[in-house]
Amino acid sequence: MQTVFVSELKPFFDAVAEQMDLYVPKKTGAHYIYDKYDPADEAAVQFNNIRACTPVKEFLFPLRELAAVFPESLEPEEIRPFAVFGLKDCDLRSIEILDKVFTEEEFEDSFYIARREKMFIISSDCSEPGTSCWCTFSGGQPHAEKGFDLNISMVGNGFVVEVGSEKASEFVEKTKDLFAEVPAEALTERDAARTEARRRVDDNNAEYTLDEPANEVVAGGYESDVFDMESQKCVECQACTRVCPTCHCFYLYDTKREDYFAKMKMWDSCMRLAYAEVAGGENPRRVLGDRIRHRFMHKFAYFLDRYGINMCVGCGRCIDADSHKMDLRVVLKKLNEELKGAKEAKVAK
Amino acid sequence: MSKNLYQPVNSEIVDIIDESPTIKSFVVVAEEPFKFKTGQFVELTLPGEGEAPFTPSSSPADTEKMEITIMKAGRVTALLHESQKGQKVGIRGPYGRGYPVDDYVGKEIYIVGGGVGLAPIRSLFLTLVDRIQDFKSVVCRFGAKAPDDFIYKNTLFGAWQNIDGVDLKLTVDEANGDWNGNVGVVTKILNRGDVDVRNAVGVVCGPPIMMKFATLKLLEFGFAPKDIYLSMEKNMSCGFGKCGHCMLGKYYVCKDGPVFTYEQIKGYRNIWD
Repeated sequence: MQTVFVSELKPFFDAVAEQMDLYVPKKTGAHYIYDKYDPADEAAVQFNNIRACTPVKEFLFPLRELAAVFPESLEPEEIRPFAVFGLKDCDLRSIEILDKVFTEEEFEDSFYIARREKMFIISSDCSEPGTSCWCTFSGGQPHAEKGFDLNISMVGNGFVVEVGSEKASEFVEKTKDLFAEVPAEALTERDAARTEARRRVDDNNAEYTLDEPANEVVAGGYESDVFDMESQKCVECQACTRVCPTCHCFYLYDTKREDYFAKMKMWDSCMRLAYAEVAGGENPRRVLGDRIRHRFMHKFAYFLDRYGINMCVGCGRCIDADSHKMDLRVVLKKLNEELKGAKEAKVAK
Repeated sequence: MSKNLYQPVNSEIVDIIDESPTIKSFVVVAEEPFKFKTGQFVELTLPGEGEAPFTPSSSPADTEKMEITIMKAGRVTALLHESQKGQKVGIRGPYGRGYPVDDYVGKEIYIVGGGVGLAPIRSLFLTLVDRIQDFKSVVCRFGAKAPDDFIYKNTLFGAWQNIDGVDLKLTVDEANGDWNGNVGVVTKILNRGDVDVRNAVGVVCGPPIMMKFATLKLLEFGFAPKDIYLSMEKNMSCGFGKCGHCMLGKYYVCKDGPVFTYEQIKGYRNIWD
């Protein structure tokens, strides 16, 4: 992989913004959220040491969009090329998961694909993983090795830039005056930082180690009371599914406009009471515990079964967002202990 | 670029048939050719109002038009019931997997239906009757609340009673008027000797409570769970396994169903709710 070096972010951001819309993470309170880059705003040049608190899905699958109109048909609008800076490995893996759903053969979502094709991904290493970060649990790590156009690692005197795609190669070629050769010590420094970040995540999560793969732990606990117990703490705010970068449920609804009818598509949440309700009033997940159970089963077992990939990237956003601190890791650990207990009891018999 | 998955095909309601006090059939003609397999469903849009899933009740062999039988059950269906001939609608689909009719060849097909559940069953029935010599027999046991609640009365009380290879019995929960047939829920007219379970498949479609007890009855008769076919009603919205509303365990009812064998879904909670 081609690797180059840039000593400052500002000229790099400006060069990207000249070619496409650029979105950058901006510190707001304790978290980063995305905003369009403004070259005149010095504060817009930040290296986010952790993922943003908002999910990357908002760039590909907006909160609300027009999906169809009548009586004329609707095709996706022309999307301007855009870049997103500061995505982390967990974000890139969430894109991989969304791709499975929205680019599935036979049922390709043309709106998603229109955006995906125009997206230029500039990821960066996670230098300070948070206490809720548990990416290593699901096969990730605090730095990306694939899935990006460019990846940025911050080192003492600048930034190491890895070039991960043809598109990115062209960009670097076009703006080669910006870049220098990578100093040898920069790579050593980068690798040491990566090892340290990984160690932090591992340390964070040492107590949540499972005895079996998560899908088996969850499937084994399908009838467990743990979900109902957890439901007593849940206030049904649905924040967990909104901030989740892989949750992709949506709601279709029809509406009237001045001179046409529209079909809209909007994010939805499987935690919502009426989510699965049918016209006659029946609802297989009327009970909150059943909705929580379904969310876990979908995340850790059903999706894997269908697409061969775990639907949780371990970004920890849902843990941060949950007002009553429901922690996926704790729930999995409880299920793990139950399963272990049941197995031991069986052996004892 | 692939076509827009969410864009319905412009269509028109060309006729409306009153079936029962709460059920009407809508004859829909699409502007583009629209084919489906029996048991598959479509998403019907009332522009500006809403969209809902229905399994066509007509034979797939009729490619000119499609009949959709709809019970007034919610907001969109109530509005559809108020609509008139000439109403512009949209249809998307067809979606999902229907009845695997080819797998039924040489077998007895034991169809248990109730209420508006006769809609998908009518499409299946017409498909089976078109090639009736391929099957050992088609045994139908249908129920309704009261005689007037039966849909497709003309054919149900008439022509369908006299098809070679078809054994059709009806029952009502409550008799009235000049009804002199069976009285009682549909499971009351299911008998062990109706079919030979060693070479039969069961097909069940109706209100959830009826589906539950009919399925239990078939199991009691010795049907294997893999031989009981259920047309599941869940909240199918997108139609292609993305929006998530209709998930039943690991399955998307819209994509992996709506027809499932009991074997596939029996391990999940609340399947009848």
